[in-house]
Amino acid sequence: MRVAIVGSGLAGFTAYQSLRRALEPDEIAVFGTDDDPAATFRRRAAAIRQREMRSESDGHCLPTSFPGLAFRSAVTRRSPAPLVGTLFDRFHPTVGEFLAHVEGLRGRSGWDRSFRNARIDRVRGVGGGFELDGEGVFRHVLVATGHPGLNVPEQLRSDARAVHSYEPHEYGPSVTVVGAGLAAATEWLNALAAGSVVVSVRRREPARRPLNVPREYFSRRGLSGFHRLGPAERAARLRTLLAPSYPPGRAWDEPLATATMEGRFRVQERVNGTRQVICATGFRRGFRHDPLLTRLVEEHDLETADGWIVLDDDASVPGLTDAKRTLALAGVAAHWAFPAADTLAGARYVAHGFLRKVAACRTR
Amino acid sequence: MSYTLRGRIESRLAASLPVVVAACILALAEHRWWPVEAAGLMLGVGLALDLQAYHRLLRYQPGWAALPLGVLELGVVLALMRAAGIAAPLGQAVALFAAGWIVAQLLGHAGFPLLRLGYAEDGGELGRLGAAAAVAVGVALAGAGATAYALRPPVVHLAAGIHQGPLVITHREVLVGEPGAVVRGGIVVRASGVTVKNVGVVGGENGITVEHVRGTVLDGVSVSGPKLDGIHVRLAGVVIKNCTIDMLGNRLGQGIDISYTMDMGQTLVEGCTVTGGMEGITTHSSMTDIVRNSVSRTTMRGISVTEMSMGMVMDNEVRDGAGIGIWCNDRSMCTIEHNTVLDTRPGDAGPGVGVLASFQSEASLWENKLGANPVSASAITQSEVHRGRSFSYR
Repeated sequence: MRVAIVGSGLAGFTAYQSLRRALEPDEIAVFGTDDDPAATFRRRAAAIRQREMRSESDGHCLPTSFPGLAFRSAVTRRSPAPLVGTLFDRFHPTVGEFLAHVEGLRGRSGWDRSFRNARIDRVRGVGGGFELDGEGVFRHVLVATGHPGLNVPEQLRSDARAVHSYEPHEYGPSVTVVGAGLAAATEWLNALAAGSVVVSVRRREPARRPLNVPREYFSRRGLSGFHRLGPAERAARLRTLLAPSYPPGRAWDEPLATATMEGRFRVQERVNGTRQVICATGFRRGFRHDPLLTRLVEEHDLETADGWIVLDDDASVPGLTDAKRTLALAGVAAHWAFPAADTLAGARYVAHGFLRKVAACRTR
Repeated sequence: MSYTLRGRIESRLAASLPVVVAACILALAEHRWWPVEAAGLMLGVGLALDLQAYHRLLRYQPGWAALPLGVLELGVVLALMRAAGIAAPLGQAVALFAAGWIVAQLLGHAGFPLLRLGYAEDGGELGRLGAAAAVAVGVALAGAGATAYALRPPVVHLAAGIHQGPLVITHREVLVGEPGAVVRGGIVVRASGVTVKNVGVVGGENGITVEHVRGTVLDGVSVSGPKLDGIHVRLAGVVIKNCTIDMLGNRLGQGIDISYTMDMGQTLVEGCTVTGGMEGITTHSSMTDIVRNSVSRTTMRGISVTEMSMGMVMDNEVRDGAGIGIWCNDRSMCTIEHNTVLDTRPGDAGPGVGVLASFQSEASLWENKLGANPVSASAITQSEVHRGRSFSYR
């Protein structure tokens, strides 16, 4: 066995689906602590009561963009509405549809045959590949360890009122929601629907865009310019692109406008005396929060920039990747190569690059 | 999808390949080149818009945009086909475009993503497949062009002066008359794909006879003094343009007589001047468009569409005739638009009628100028005259 995926979440699962075009399950090892690739996502989506995906038809784990979830939904529902919706970028699969897709794919793809219940804390470059924490040497390794933990603002870490939005919670009579991204916007509507008075605490007005980053950054159209940027410019561009945002539309605006008129929703600059504070502040940022990546950087003296590991355009790690071996990063750690790397489309992008490397290696 | 420029072009070329191939097959099967010309034009227009407009204006192209962009491209293609004189049947040309559009959508949304793993993230670029498609399209179009060039009919120049006829054309050719070239005794076309340009004809049984052949073009011919008809067409497909027919003194002949050509498709008489004769332009059992002609001094009817014929009679001027100006007769269906019919006087065929529909015929009249005719327009023997637009190419 020559190919390994470190991490058994959705990024690793998506990469696995692409690898299966060239490899059998017995040729791939997936290391993780949960054999359900959607476990973390399911838990977080349930915590914020997410019903629809932000992603569109191509937000799935298959290696090719077609057939997307709109096509599958049209077949399942026996209705052309999802296909029409996707023509207008209005189709968003439900969380249930997405989870069913993952479940079905897991059963068909041989994922469970490749899964190994083991936590990998160290990836070390050795002759002819990478040694994975005593699990053996693999010629090609994709690291997809996911977000390195939930981010709670410093001043709220010891505050008993505070709960992170991705942790289970209910809504009190008055709720302060810290943050300005999709999770925060979802929490505003959840709390309002539960009858709460909502205070939004945010440092800046959120950007309104359908997807995490502008659409051209999902293809070479926007990526080629992004890849040409120097380290400082690219880091600055990433900070801009990854600023909090949520989609435009009446479904978001009308409840907030109504609640504002009723005096049930307002914006403040700092947390006040409400009895419940929900931190919709996303995840910790930077490889330093991930012990495996920190060790990888330090042991191999990898180049970094402003918290990101510097990667090649296909998300492989320069210096540790050549014609005979590949080390690539997926998910949030691959922002340097693909600004939307922590989306399903981003996971697919990295997976395609990794598959190309594996396929091009004669001694794989 | 956010296309790169290269992605747009490669996707366009690859998606056009099935249509180009189909057009080449159609052209070879039917010996008509308009499908290839139309497919080439579709591709050219698409590429030009990709380069000059779409790439700059559309950083991201949602799926729905394909429909208005397709309509825009169809409009430009049809306008250019018209301007370039590509003689394509409108319905078939639109069908070819629509088929190409549907194929492109299917390939763009499903085919290419399945063929190429990173199609979406590569901005529509197809890599080696794109290059191969470009080469294949180029080869197909170049091959069709080369075939068309190789199959061009020979051009025969007729020197200035009088040539004793009748001149019988038995091979596909283009006969071009030098200024002052005249055939005495008539021309007989007995081969398909013959073009006669700028030749004068004097005398003959008929001035020019076209029978049992296809694809005849008579362009800029002049006929005078035939015993029977100026141009006599039977069971043949013709386009007659810019002709001059002098039938003065011939009380029984017809300037242009096109009969029994229904199986030969649409025929056309455009831009001709016919003077004298019993009838100026007449069609029997034919689908003929009679457009922008001038007919005068006929002894019975200026223009007649008869014996279950169908056709447009548009922008013609008919004046100083006897009997009937424009006649729609014998279960024919006529669209009569923007014609001028003046000074029709009583004669053997009628009391001086501008437009007459007779014997179970239907004539739709729209914006005609009917002046100084004893009877402006009339319908007899179970026929109808509608005053309103039915269908028009305008």
